[in-house]
Amino acid sequence: MANKGVDIYIGATSLTTALGNKRATLDGMHRGECGLRFSNRYAMYAGEVDVTLKEGYTRFESMLIAEIESVVQQSGITLMSGDTQLIISTTKGNVELLADDCENIAARAFLYTSAEAISDYFNAANRAIVISNACISGVSAFVVAREKLLRGECKHVIVAGGDALCEFITSGFASFKSISAQPCRPYDAARDGLTLGEAAGAVLLTTDYVKADAAHILLAGGAITNDANHISGPSRTGDGLYYAISEAMREAGVSSEDVGFVNTHGTATRYNDEMESKAVAWAQLDGKPLNSLKGHIGHTLAASGVVETILCVEQLKQGYIFGTMGFSASDTPHQLMVSATEQHFDKRCCVKSASGFGGCNAAIVLDMECRERGTVGDKRAWRVAAEYTLPHAEQPFAEFIRSEFKSLDQSNMKFYKMSDMCKALYVAVEQLLRIEDFGDVPPTRRAIILANRSASLDTDVAHQRIVNQHLAEGASPAVFVYTLANVAAGEMCIRHKIQGDNTFFIENTHSEMVHQQAQHLIESGRADAVICGWCDLLQESWNVDIKLYKNN
Amino acid sequence: MEQLIQELKEHLIEELNLEEITPEDIDADAPLFGEGLGLDSIDALEIILILEKYYGVKLANSAEAKPVFRSVRTLAEYILQNRK
Repeated sequence: MANKGVDIYIGATSLTTALGNKRATLDGMHRGECGLRFSNRYAMYAGEVDVTLKEGYTRFESMLIAEIESVVQQSGITLMSGDTQLIISTTKGNVELLADDCENIAARAFLYTSAEAISDYFNAANRAIVISNACISGVSAFVVAREKLLRGECKHVIVAGGDALCEFITSGFASFKSISAQPCRPYDAARDGLTLGEAAGAVLLTTDYVKADAAHILLAGGAITNDANHISGPSRTGDGLYYAISEAMREAGVSSEDVGFVNTHGTATRYNDEMESKAVAWAQLDGKPLNSLKGHIGHTLAASGVVETILCVEQLKQGYIFGTMGFSASDTPHQLMVSATEQHFDKRCCVKSASGFGGCNAAIVLDMECRERGTVGDKRAWRVAAEYTLPHAEQPFAEFIRSEFKSLDQSNMKFYKMSDMCKALYVAVEQLLRIEDFGDVPPTRRAIILANRSASLDTDVAHQRIVNQHLAEGASPAVFVYTLANVAAGEMCIRHKIQGDNTFFIENTHSEMVHQQAQHLIESGRADAVICGWCDLLQESWNVDIKLYKNN
Repeated sequence: MEQLIQELKEHLIEELNLEEITPEDIDADAPLFGEGLGLDSIDALEIILILEKYYGVKLANSAEAKPVFRSVRTLAEYILQNRK
């Protein structure tokens, strides 16, 4: 019973959104203010933030440093101690730097280099862990942080999430025709898309009761899943999100009876909100007060999971939830108790969820009650069932991968549509699973944990080139969708029916870190088979080295 | 019309990365989506770009586009009706 007896508390928190700092954001939400304005720069409604730039740091880095600094000051916890781990979640970091020169990629456009600059600012003893998993990145970071604390690898984790808007991002979402013509209206019958925002937030998670927030709110459970259905479209059934919510609740030892409210992703696209209504009803939470805060601050990408979780903590403390700005009447397939205005709830526990490109979903449970938590079985043994390294070749990548694909002797129309990094991963995973396949491991017990150095920079450059042309017809959605590294993992989830954990880490070099993550997933009983390893491709240089772990 | 259909097929193959498919493989009257070419919602958005880029024809969203997207022939008919 490895996980018994470790309580993980929420400590100091800090955030900045389009409504301002934490106090201003809370006041703004209480008063029903909308932080979304028409942006002439992006020609769409957006939730922009005033950032005080720190000398020597980019806008994105300045945003994150300010929130982490506030948490450090409030808590007295220092990153200089080996007991404290920093986890940074971001989808695009300093991608803005590509706009000036997309032929010579700036060093700080690499997410790990940017994370290193942030850790160095705080003289951090441990290297920061970077998670880039599309729009669930923020919630994913809590799940990963929780596992680290449960295993006793550190005493404190500071989870920091942020994303800064730039034309790279706004034009990409515009190419998907997913931008609302008005400030977004989550769950409303008249909703017509999302509104982008920018934000940053930081949260201290600690096993030290003394460092906990006075309300002693626990991060009681968390899970990450995949729809294994489509790389950009939400599941039509809501099964992936349902699995994430139910698994997080099982870990936390709470039933739907115990839940006071649900704070969903609620992006206000037609299909996302529809999908969420199915998942929430499936989890028997459709009778609970529910809100989305994106009508106030926009969809803040990787920041959303962190910022909205902090706001969940505050809502738990105050005993009422904020209204869902822009919502008046719902038309989702399952009727949800969406709160148009502030609403009291009577239970001291909440569920926070997120879903994103690549088919990923994540959910966490925050709880103020002491109760029996879901058990985790005895530590299980794992084995390496197969390993495969994609060969290097002198020929151009396109030629190389075409002949590798041909040698698989299969036809798949989807293959040629994938990004180069995804093609490399595709071939490697096919070869890996030919050595030993998933066998009878059910989809929800399969996982994929990957890391690389350059995230999706290879495709980012391709998208930036299109953006720089300012074409009348706009950017290409087929290119933009691959500007998230985890979408390659999402393709593997579809192809090989992987519905369990799927997390993409960014590291300088291929280290043991991801392999330990995979091993722990099996040891703790969260998965029975995990594809894990390194998958990097940038400008004709590739390196794919993966293993299949199974429980013994 | 037949010339436009041929040209459209070539644009679709090029822009949607339909490798190993030739214009002759595409039946102008067969359903574009669902089977055969394995197209999905991202391809639908790319087809909207093709219409605008090569023919200056605008389609607001893929929902409105449903009858237009039935086959290569219906696409060609829509272009002929709306081309300026």
